[in-house]
Amino acid sequence: MTMIGRRDFCRNGLALGALAALPLGISPASAEPKRGGTLVYATVSGPGTLDPHVSSSAVELEVIHNLFEGLVALDNQNATRPMLAAKATASDDARTYTFELRRGVKFHSGEEMTAADVKASLERYQRVSPNAKNLADVEAYEAPDPYTFIIRLKQPNVVLLDVLKTPIFPFMILPAAQKDKAAREIDVVGTGPFALSEWVKDSHLVIKRFDGYAPDTSAAGRDGYGGRKTVYLDAARYRFIPEATTRIAALQTGEVQLASTIPTELRGRVEERGDLAVRQVFPVGGTYIIVNSQYGLTANVLIRQALAAAIDIGEITDATGGINKANPWMSFPNTPYYLGETAPTPWYDQKDPAKAAELLKRAGYKNEKLIIETNSNYQWMRTTMLVVAEQLKAAGVNVDLKVVDWTTNAAHMQQGTGEWNLSTTLFGPDHILGPQQWRPMIYAFPSIKGNDALDGAYKEFFAAPDLDQRRAAWLKIQQQVLGNAYMIKIADSGRLAGYAKRLKNQSDYPGILQLWDLYLD
Amino acid sequence: MLRLITIKLLQAAPVILVVSILAFLLMSLLPGDPAVVIAGDQASPEAIAAVRHSLGLDRPFLERLGIWLLRLAQGEFGSSLMLNQSVLSAMGERLPVTLSLAGLSLAITLPVGILIGSIAAYYRQTWVDSLVMTVALVGVSIPGFWIAILAVILFSVVLGWFPSSGYVPFAQDPVLWLRSLVLPASMLSLFQIGFLARMTRSAMLDVLSQDFIRTARSKGLSEWVTVGKHGFRNALVLVITAMGILVSTALGGSVVIEQVFALPGVGRLVVQGIMARDYPLVQGVMLIYGFAFVAINLAVDVLYTLADPRVRYD
Amino acid sequence: MTELALAVPAAPAALAPRRRFRLMRRLVGHRSFQIGLVLLVLLTFAAILAPLTGIDPSSMKVRLRFRPPSQAFPFGTDGFGRDVLTRVLYGARVSLWIGFVVALLSGVIGALIGVLAAQFRSLDALLMRIMDGLMSFPAILLALGITAALGPRMESVIIALTVAYLPAGARLVRASALVVRELDYVLAARIAGASPLRIMLRHILPNSVSPLLVHMTFVFAYSILAEAALSFLGVGVQPPTASWGNIIAEGRDYATEAWWVMLFPGLAISLAALGLNLLGDGLRDVLDPRLKGPG
Repeated sequence: MTMIGRRDFCRNGLALGALAALPLGISPASAEPKRGGTLVYATVSGPGTLDPHVSSSAVELEVIHNLFEGLVALDNQNATRPMLAAKATASDDARTYTFELRRGVKFHSGEEMTAADVKASLERYQRVSPNAKNLADVEAYEAPDPYTFIIRLKQPNVVLLDVLKTPIFPFMILPAAQKDKAAREIDVVGTGPFALSEWVKDSHLVIKRFDGYAPDTSAAGRDGYGGRKTVYLDAARYRFIPEATTRIAALQTGEVQLASTIPTELRGRVEERGDLAVRQVFPVGGTYIIVNSQYGLTANVLIRQALAAAIDIGEITDATGGINKANPWMSFPNTPYYLGETAPTPWYDQKDPAKAAELLKRAGYKNEKLIIETNSNYQWMRTTMLVVAEQLKAAGVNVDLKVVDWTTNAAHMQQGTGEWNLSTTLFGPDHILGPQQWRPMIYAFPSIKGNDALDGAYKEFFAAPDLDQRRAAWLKIQQQVLGNAYMIKIADSGRLAGYAKRLKNQSDYPGILQLWDLYLD
Repeated sequence: MLRLITIKLLQAAPVILVVSILAFLLMSLLPGDPAVVIAGDQASPEAIAAVRHSLGLDRPFLERLGIWLLRLAQGEFGSSLMLNQSVLSAMGERLPVTLSLAGLSLAITLPVGILIGSIAAYYRQTWVDSLVMTVALVGVSIPGFWIAILAVILFSVVLGWFPSSGYVPFAQDPVLWLRSLVLPASMLSLFQIGFLARMTRSAMLDVLSQDFIRTARSKGLSEWVTVGKHGFRNALVLVITAMGILVSTALGGSVVIEQVFALPGVGRLVVQGIMARDYPLVQGVMLIYGFAFVAINLAVDVLYTLADPRVRYD
Repeated sequence: MTELALAVPAAPAALAPRRRFRLMRRLVGHRSFQIGLVLLVLLTFAAILAPLTGIDPSSMKVRLRFRPPSQAFPFGTDGFGRDVLTRVLYGARVSLWIGFVVALLSGVIGALIGVLAAQFRSLDALLMRIMDGLMSFPAILLALGITAALGPRMESVIIALTVAYLPAGARLVRASALVVRELDYVLAARIAGASPLRIMLRHILPNSVSPLLVHMTFVFAYSILAEAALSFLGVGVQPPTASWGNIIAEGRDYATEAWWVMLFPGLAISLAALGLNLLGDGLRDVLDPRLKGPG
């Protein structure tokens, strides 16, 4: 038996040591956290559901991660650390994973969490989650005793723990009674440090401290999505305020102490008040131009590459505002699959319309219409495509911009339907979790079909026993995806959050909002 | 009186039918396949087919219309996809906010609009008239959301008089309830006041030029008493006449105002529904508003007859 | 037939030249009308002459984003570094066009429905119940529902607003048509054997024109405001096409910093609506002298 993920756990141990020293070293003794108070948080819109197994949107996850916990979690260094599991071990053939559960963990309902709940939760996940295909290889779940849970796989999977730590469509543990509930219809009961108190859709949502919470005492302090979580706040109130002007006004008038998504230009407006500050939440995702490789013009790889040559990343990120950093890779820096400074392809950020025009001519472009599709729901996507349209016009492309609603736009991208050549979207934790998480996106969005080099590289990836080999396969994958311009990377992006300075001890970890360890002075 | 109400009810019945059919037609305006929209972006073809069947979309048009009307007759207004909740209960949760907003807005509009309209009529052709009517004109010419955003900046951020957003239920704290609604309701009232003042002025001019006022004046009655007395009755008729339009524009305008001030009312519900392509929700809300207006117009007609004896239905 | 028709008293709408002249003179002398006309003519000219700025309204200079008003950019630049003045001018084309087409379409179709209802009693109940039904929805909500269903495009906005404002016009025309058709000379024409179509075209329609014209002017104003509201809610005219509404919608997040992006199109909308309302007031005063305005 070897411990899979041991490397991750070990590295995590090191990181923890460093982290644990930090607060003690920096903060003076007077900064004793205060208990009590309600944090009011202004966010753009409210969650549609709090069912973790079907949730992929940030506004939902911002609540969910405070209410629920999974077997394992992403740590501060984006590696895997145990959460509800005390320990996870894999068999040598990577076909059996055994989880030893922490004892005394209580659900908000008061019942203790046991292996039966874990089994029921994963079975439900497999039934309702859009991400269920990641469990397709499971042969059986077993719960031999209340504190042991076993996953048996049909074939080896060396990255199962990485799959289980995903922060989107998270593998949260629900009480076994929720097993047969349909998607979006669960009772909101988890093991997290907060419990749901009040939820008026479109208006506000209140979560309050769960006094029966059993912290992970194996850690010294918080650690990414896991670690020892301490709750100082009595409650947190999410208020949904769609207009940026109104959201900032609420921060300025003191109605809220934390506000998400502050436009870059308004940063100064917030910071000019002595009691307010702004911080970066970065990176939360990477933005891409999706190129439909099954439709019209862009079925031709030479045309796709020519289009890529015209793109000026700086112009796009300036216009969209927010926090953006150029990064040609499909992984964030400081994550296991990040491959360094040089770009995987020659096409990144060329900002060369003349070259693009030349390439287009060579590819046999005859002024056919290129259709850009974007949506009316997300301003940054619209802005991105407006700038891209202008840049392509400068390269002599006959551009037609179509605006539809997000549902249509998203369905077109994910299913390769509709008449469009270019669109845009953001991918989030894929940049942290790596190739296995990326796979369905890569094949679906640009509609890649019949690329043997890509298929081969993925085969190598899943069979590779060690990280270096997997990283080599990941380079080949990115060279295919970005080099053939199925997708054009724009940048890593984040956002600004405004807050009242009396809100202390926010985490530097750029994940979604974590309300534990925060306190109001 | 009873006969009047009966006649009016009989006239309203076909309108209700028309409203139902119009709301149904709205759904069939949707391009493409509503089942795809409803099943969601990650649905399999089988799931889409199941949705299509359960909504009866695979049936002929007239049959679907029939089913739709039958369900309505049983009080089923459909269910919201995004909320997992019936449209009726979703509306029920949000209606207090919208009604508070519209109600307060009307409470501001009615006295102010009628007063300044009457003043303009009384001082017709003077600078007072010009001034008041210019203000009223500006009120009906400014985009509501535009002035509302500017008002948030001025009254909440710069002056700090009112909260910038949010809603406090009346039952929780009447004072905070009022404070949370004063700014949005005032912004909503701008158009309405302009509209009502202009209407009042026309109507009052009409009255002031009528014989009975001249007679009263010649009898030596104080002008103010006469105008006040007759004016009141006429104002009442006017308000009743304008009520339908005022309520309609208040509820329409609240869609935009709720968005700016983040008020969790029916307007925001509709906008969210449209963004999420929750067409059963949008359809249901429109239907309920439509029915409500049929009822309001019915009440207006009846009240109108009571207030103005000249109106008779024969 | 012709001889008999000659015996019919002249319809007042086929205005005698002298009366027409008098009306024109009173209109021209009416202060509201003057101000409204000047405003509208100026805005229309601005719209027509938009290309004279020599700038492409969608061309971007991202480096020059959010520049305050200056000599180079009289109205400043927006978040893409586009010239706001140019966009407001091109936006005038879209917004005024939408207002104009909606006023025209809803007026003409409304008139048609109104006259049909008045003339053919068998259709009356059906047509008017449909109009009542449409009027039961708050106009902006109806427009919102229709644009949402049809997809966010300029044509959808025009269709939606036309449907929303149609019933009021139809009712208005029907009401005045019902009065006109009982007038002596119309009865005489009917007795003289004039066809219903001829009576409709020759007598009833022309007599409904004045109130309809006033109504259409106000619909023009409302439509410009409604387009802005729809843009604000995300279902109006979509970029890169500029409309007054979507310039404001795109600039609204920066109201406190780049105030110029939101201010100028807002003023343009207000001025256009003001001009049209004044114009409508003037028309109403002159065509319906009973309700004389302050001017």
